[in-house]
Amino acid sequence: MSAIVIARRRTLAWCAGFAVLLVALVGVALSTGRLHIPFLDALRALFGVGDRPTVLVVQQFRAPRVIAAVVAGAALALAGSMTQRLLRNPLASPDVIGVTGGASVGAVLVIASGSVPAALTPVAAVAGGLAVAVLIGASAWRSQVSVTRLVLVGVAIQQGLAAVVNLMIVRFPQELAGQALQWTSGSLYGRTWTEVWVAGGAIVAVAGAAALTHRRVAVLDLGDDSAGGLGLDPRRARLGLLMLAVVLASLAAALSGPIGFVALLVPHVVRRLAGPPTPATLALTALTGATLLLGADYVALNLLPIHGLPAGAVTATLGAPWLLWLMARSERRSLT
Amino acid sequence: MLTTDRSAARAPVSVPTARRRVPPAVAVAGGVAALVVCAALSLALGARSIPLPTVIRALTGSDHGPDATVVTGLRVPRTVIGMVVGGALGVAGVVAQGVTRNPLASATTLGVNAGAGFAVVTAIFVLHLARPVEFMWFALAGAAGAAVLVHALARRPGDVDPVRLVLAGTVLTAVLASWTTALMLASQRTLDEARFWLAGSIADRELAVLVRVLPFVVVGMALAVVVAPSLNALALGDEAAHGLGVPVARIRVLGGSSVVLLAAASVAVAGPVPFIGLAAPHLVRPLLGTDHRRLVPACFVVGATLLLAADVLGRLIARPSELETGIVTAFLGAPLLAVLARRTAR
Repeated sequence: MSAIVIARRRTLAWCAGFAVLLVALVGVALSTGRLHIPFLDALRALFGVGDRPTVLVVQQFRAPRVIAAVVAGAALALAGSMTQRLLRNPLASPDVIGVTGGASVGAVLVIASGSVPAALTPVAAVAGGLAVAVLIGASAWRSQVSVTRLVLVGVAIQQGLAAVVNLMIVRFPQELAGQALQWTSGSLYGRTWTEVWVAGGAIVAVAGAAALTHRRVAVLDLGDDSAGGLGLDPRRARLGLLMLAVVLASLAAALSGPIGFVALLVPHVVRRLAGPPTPATLALTALTGATLLLGADYVALNLLPIHGLPAGAVTATLGAPWLLWLMARSERRSLT
Repeated sequence: MLTTDRSAARAPVSVPTARRRVPPAVAVAGGVAALVVCAALSLALGARSIPLPTVIRALTGSDHGPDATVVTGLRVPRTVIGMVVGGALGVAGVVAQGVTRNPLASATTLGVNAGAGFAVVTAIFVLHLARPVEFMWFALAGAAGAAVLVHALARRPGDVDPVRLVLAGTVLTAVLASWTTALMLASQRTLDEARFWLAGSIADRELAVLVRVLPFVVVGMALAVVVAPSLNALALGDEAAHGLGVPVARIRVLGGSSVVLLAAASVAVAGPVPFIGLAAPHLVRPLLGTDHRRLVPACFVVGATLLLAADVLGRLIARPSELETGIVTAFLGAPLLAVLARRTAR
C-alpha cells in the first residue's frame, strides 16, 4: 500500500471522527441550557418533531446559535488554511492580520446606523474585511511578503480598529455600546435565523467556490515559476484566491464577530493530523474549525462561572499558549 | 518553518549620530517651546475658548471671573496631569526600547498597558471600584505581571529576541483584551465604569489622583536616569555590554521596573493612552542621536508635548464635546506603527 493511500485513509478516518464529534457536540449544545432537553429529543426537535415548547426552544433559540458556530468555525478555518498556504506563512491568518476585526467593525457601523436591514450586515462585513485587506496589501505587499512585516502591520491595523471600537463604545448610548462591544469581542450571542440564512448561505457558496479552486492552489504550491510554466498567472491567481479567503473570513465575522485563533490554529492541527494538503484535508479543516468554535461556544455558555462570556475569550485563552509554543518550537528548529 | 527575519530586526535601533542635523541647544529650546505652546493651547482652548491674556491673568491670580475659574479649576489640573502622564509614557517608551534593543517596544506593544487595563477592569468587576484614585495598585500589579510574562515568553538562552518580544506582546494583548471585554460584557456596571477609562483620557481627573501616583513616577524617572548610561552600552549587544563591565541582567531588571512603574502610573491616572511611548523616541532620535542620557529627558518633554497636543486636538475636533485623548493618539499612532514595522522588518 503506497504512502499516499495510507495518508488518504488516515485523513478520511480523522474526517469521520470529527464528523461524529461534531454531531455529538451539536446534540449536546442543543440539549443543554436552562431547560434541559434529552439528547435525542433535542435532535428530533431540530426537525420540528416533539412537543411545542421543546421545538420552540430548540428551533428558535438554540439552533441558530449552534448553526452559526458551525458555519463560522468552518469558514474561519478554511480562510486561515487558504491564507497560510497562499502566503506561505504559518502566521498569516485573517484574525492575526486584522481582516476579521475590520469585518466586524464594518458590521457594527451598519447595525449602529439603525436604518439598514439586518440582511445587509454581511455585505458591510465583507466591505470592512476587504478594506483592511487592501490596506494591508498597500502597506506590506512586496514580491515576497515577509512574515514579520505582515504581522506587525496587522498589529498596527488592529490598534487602529481598536481605536474605532473604543470610539463607538464611548460615544454610543449605553445599550448600543454593550452591543458594539459584544460584536467586536467574538460572540455568538443572540443570533437570528435571518443572519444565519444570509451569512451562512453566502459562506456555503464561497466555500464551495474555494473548494473548486483547490487545484489552482495546489499548482501555486509548486512555486511561482512552476505555476507559470503550467499556464497559470501566479500573481493574478494568488490575488483572486486571497480575495476569496478574505470574503470567507469576513462573512464568518458577520456571524460571529472576530473570533481569534481558530483560523490561525486549525490549519496547524490539520497539518499535524493529516499531513500535506489534499481535497480531503480541506474537508477536515472545515470540520475541525466547526468543532472547535462550537466547543468554545459551549464552554463559554455552559461551563464558565460568569454568564455572558464571548466564545472569542475561550478561543483566545486556548489559542495563545499554543501559538507561543509554536513560536518556541519553530525557533528551536531553525536554530539547529 | 516560522521564519522571522531576525537579522533585519536587529539592525541598529536608531538613525546614526552622523545624521544629526540640529545642535542640541536648538533642539532643547525647540522642544521646550513646543511644550509651552501646547500647554498654553491646552489652557486656552476647549468647549469654551478663553483668550490668552485672560489665561495669564487667571494664572497670576489677578482675575476671578468665570473664565478664570475654568482655567484654574479645570484646565490647569488637566494640563499638569497631561504633562506628567505624557512625560512618563515618553520615558517609559525610550527605556523599553533601550532595554529590549527594539524600536517597536513600548508599553502598548509589549502588552504592559493591556495588563494594567485588565487588572483594573477585574478590580472594578470584583471589588466595585469606581474612582481612578483607587486604581493604582491594580494597574501596577497588572503592568508588572504582563511585563514579566512577556519577557519570559520572548526569552531564549542568553538573549531576548526583538521580534519575538513584540509577537509575544501582541499575543498577550489579544488574550488580555478578550478577557477585559468578557468582563465588561458580563456586567453592565463594569461596562459603565470602565468604558470611559479604557478609552484613555485626562479629562475630569482630580489633582489628587496625580499626587497619589507621583511617588511611582518619581521613582520610575529616577531609575530611568540611573540606567540611561548603561543603555548606551546595552545597545551594542548583551555580550559587548558585558565586556564593558555593565551588569546586563541588573540593568534589564532596573529598566524594566522603570517601564512598569511609569506605565502603571500613567494608566492609573489616564487609562491606556497608546503610542506616545512608541512615538516619542522616534521623534527625538533623529534630532539628538542615540545617547540615552539625552534621550531620557528629551523623551519626557516630547511625550508631554505629544499628549497635550493630542488632548487639544481631541477637544477641537468634536467641539463642543470632545474626543478622548487615547482615541486621538491611537488614530495617529497606528499608521506610525505600520511605517515603523515596514522599516524594522525589511
